[in-house]
Amino acid sequence: MKNTRDTQTIFELSRSGRRAARLPACDVPEHNVADLLPAASIAATPPALPELSEPAVIRHFVNLSTQNMSVDTHFYPLGSCTMKYNPKRNERAAAMPAFADLHPYQPAETLQGMLQMLYEMQEMLQEISGLEACSLQPAAGAHGELAALLVAAAYFRDLGESRTKVLVPDNAHGTNPASAAMGGFDAVTLKTTADGFVDLDDLETKLDEHVAVLMITNPSTLGLFEPNMQVIADRVHKVGGLIYLDGANMNAILGVARPGDFGADMQHYNPHKTFSGPHGGGGPGAGPICVTEKLAPYLPTPIVKTLGDQFVLDYDRPKTIGRVRAFFGNVGVLLRAYAYIRTHGPDGLRRVSENAVLNANYLLSRVKHILPVPQGHRCMHEFVASASDLRRDKKISAMDLAKRLLDFGYHAPTVYFPLTVPEAMMIEPTETESKETLDAFAETLFRITEEDADLLHDAPHTTAVSRPDEVRAARQPVLSYPE
Amino acid sequence: MPYLYNTPEDQRAMLEAIGAGSIDELFDPIPAYLQLDRPLNLPPALSEMELDQQLRLLASRNRHAGELVCFLGGGCYDHFVPAVVDTIGSRSEFYTSYTPYQAEASQGNLQAVFEYQSLITRLTGMDISNASLYDGASAAAEAVLMATSSTRRFGKVVVPECLHPEYRSTIATYLENLETEVVTLETPTGVVDPDLLAAAVDEEVAAVVLQQPNFFGCVEDAYRVAEITAAAGSLLISVFDPLSLGILRRPGDYGANIAVAEGHTLGTPMSYGGPFLGIMACDKSLVRRMPGRIAGKTVDRRGNDCYVLTMQTREQHIRREKATSNVCTNQGLFALRATAYLAQLGPQGLRETANLCLQKSHYAAEQLCKLDRFSLAFPVPTFKEFVIRDAENQVAELLSSALDNGFLAGIPLGQWYPQLADCFLVAVTEKRTKAEIDSLVHSLANSETKVTAEV
Repeated sequence: MKNTRDTQTIFELSRSGRRAARLPACDVPEHNVADLLPAASIAATPPALPELSEPAVIRHFVNLSTQNMSVDTHFYPLGSCTMKYNPKRNERAAAMPAFADLHPYQPAETLQGMLQMLYEMQEMLQEISGLEACSLQPAAGAHGELAALLVAAAYFRDLGESRTKVLVPDNAHGTNPASAAMGGFDAVTLKTTADGFVDLDDLETKLDEHVAVLMITNPSTLGLFEPNMQVIADRVHKVGGLIYLDGANMNAILGVARPGDFGADMQHYNPHKTFSGPHGGGGPGAGPICVTEKLAPYLPTPIVKTLGDQFVLDYDRPKTIGRVRAFFGNVGVLLRAYAYIRTHGPDGLRRVSENAVLNANYLLSRVKHILPVPQGHRCMHEFVASASDLRRDKKISAMDLAKRLLDFGYHAPTVYFPLTVPEAMMIEPTETESKETLDAFAETLFRITEEDADLLHDAPHTTAVSRPDEVRAARQPVLSYPE
Repeated sequence: MPYLYNTPEDQRAMLEAIGAGSIDELFDPIPAYLQLDRPLNLPPALSEMELDQQLRLLASRNRHAGELVCFLGGGCYDHFVPAVVDTIGSRSEFYTSYTPYQAEASQGNLQAVFEYQSLITRLTGMDISNASLYDGASAAAEAVLMATSSTRRFGKVVVPECLHPEYRSTIATYLENLETEVVTLETPTGVVDPDLLAAAVDEEVAAVVLQQPNFFGCVEDAYRVAEITAAAGSLLISVFDPLSLGILRRPGDYGANIAVAEGHTLGTPMSYGGPFLGIMACDKSLVRRMPGRIAGKTVDRRGNDCYVLTMQTREQHIRREKATSNVCTNQGLFALRATAYLAQLGPQGLRETANLCLQKSHYAAEQLCKLDRFSLAFPVPTFKEFVIRDAENQVAELLSSALDNGFLAGIPLGQWYPQLADCFLVAVTEKRTKAEIDSLVHSLANSETKVTAEV
């Protein structure tokens, strides 16, 4: 079934003189290009793009698409990524010309529907987070982290305080310390306990008047709710610091608990996860942030406000950090999130989290007999199993399991993250999977652990390609097709 | 709820297997005093049909570019999107997948990214492209950070006023809590003045950011700017318009060290400004400083060609606070769309598209300047947009009256440039017809006349 000819690169498929696109004839009086532009600015020939017919373009990319696993085709329990179903009604909405064909500099009077949607999103995200203000501008979760840290920096500058440190637990996503560094802070790693929680003694030694922000992912990357959340928040606030909540795992607590109620001063959302994406093969996502009242003046500009019965963009925000990107934000992603939230309503969102947590706990109850789950017997929306016993006893690694799962038609869990768990497999089933799927996955995982180690070392066996030579890719990089 | 499987029976069986009495019990790890004791205050749930009605209601309050004739630019343009791009972008095997962590199950994405990188290096004449960033402005800010860290010059970066104001603002925000100063170069003639630039560039300057064509649509003397920049040992960051490269020299031709762009024009609709596609390409000497994902070609265990994410030791998930950037994902779907778009256009299609933009915008400028009240603010060569000065200084009234006639006629520049309060920016893409341009001119000449947009 594999179509090898049409998965050659577009450069190999190219034949001189072929054309797919035909442009209209120029209907205005045409000048010599040399009369319109300086000679030195004109290229003698256009760039060496491939030359294809239209059917070749379609066949090529459609064939490539079949070489992917995706949520629409496979169970995709990639931990921390919340690979839930992407509703088709949201896709249709985002493609409506009245949303897709709007220019960002149109006058507000021609955008009232768009601005209303964005205004309502600000309000709904504030309510879900329990925080008082919102910026929809950041383009991704990590972008939201950076924007929020810059908001914090502006706030402390305004107070005349010099705070240089951002505390980040050792099991946090790598973007947290990277965002801190990018924002001009020193990232300081906080230890976590064997149970996976913030080590309060370590916190005590690192907490002082130089701490600007503690970034916490709660529920954590281990799928655990931090039991000392209130204590941590109180201690950070006592030295004048702020709590940033990495909202990557909001899918566990919608309508159940709100970051603003458990001590967060700032948070981002990942609408492409929590509010059903899609993930787009890597993006686009969005990274809206919510903050408390006292941080609101520093948010990126503009935000949407009401003026009488009109919706307008508010640029008059003298303390703003400015912009973190051009134009308003990733509104196409926000529109899908809007459709998702409106589809669910308050009860529906809570049901989402209840079933995400139920599915994760159910799968945990089945997996823990196959692979140990070091941090407890219950979880929130995901859990982290460890293949370290298997590695010791049978020389089977988390990577081997991940690769072999592909043979059985399952996307692999996230492996080797968080770094605090040896041979980690981070499993997040999401609420949009059935008990049958979870049962079959657990049975497959069990069956794989019983297989011969050599079979696993060579897995996957059924995919279009087997394991890539990553060392060669990095040492002898080939990053484009040769010209 | 429409997307859930679990029946009450499933839930009972699952709770029993877990050993929990209820779903609420699963939330016991959250202390009771931290749990919300009321329903969220959100509007009630909508069925699919009701949602559709709600969205149509909102849609009816927007006037879009298929309904109004769009002459707005400023970094976002009404270019044509071929049907094949939508077809390919709608393949849910692409759009419901994620970052290709498992290469064996993601060869479709990985090869598409490899092809994207290959097209971008050909388009720009640069050595290396990454797998894309968020948008043009954040890509420009990332390029500045790349320049300071690779030159070890943390003192200054030079940014001309004719760089998109929102890009300047983004760069300033990214640098606000760092030590690097943004030096803004005045550009009273609408383009970078070589003497002013030479005076501003010294051994503390990490980079000069040049937009080509610039925010006013003017074509810069990029070779001269590159020469002055290189003489000071600074890096040249080019902010280019991808479609202009059908005609204009490439960043790599004139010696840019880093080239960034807003890539939505390659097959992604305007979408009120996002989500978009941040293009970034660079010299091979800078690749270890590059932010974002990069795909590479290698072989698998059977010796077959295959693709994989590579050079990951630059990245946050490995290097944490020492990473080149905090960027985690790329804009995979729009990189795919750009790949399909460029494959569909080919070299001739790109050339013709660029030429149509050039010819039509020149025609529009010519016709507008036949009216006594209008002149070009900057009488230098332009590519697809230009700045019109209104002698009667009635920009707001003029644009508002054009809107009444069905035209998004231009962007008032006073919001960013007080000295250009009597000016507006007009963009003309390959989509605009002569009839539409003539109607715009007619409308601006006589705001009493109602003109219907050509469909």
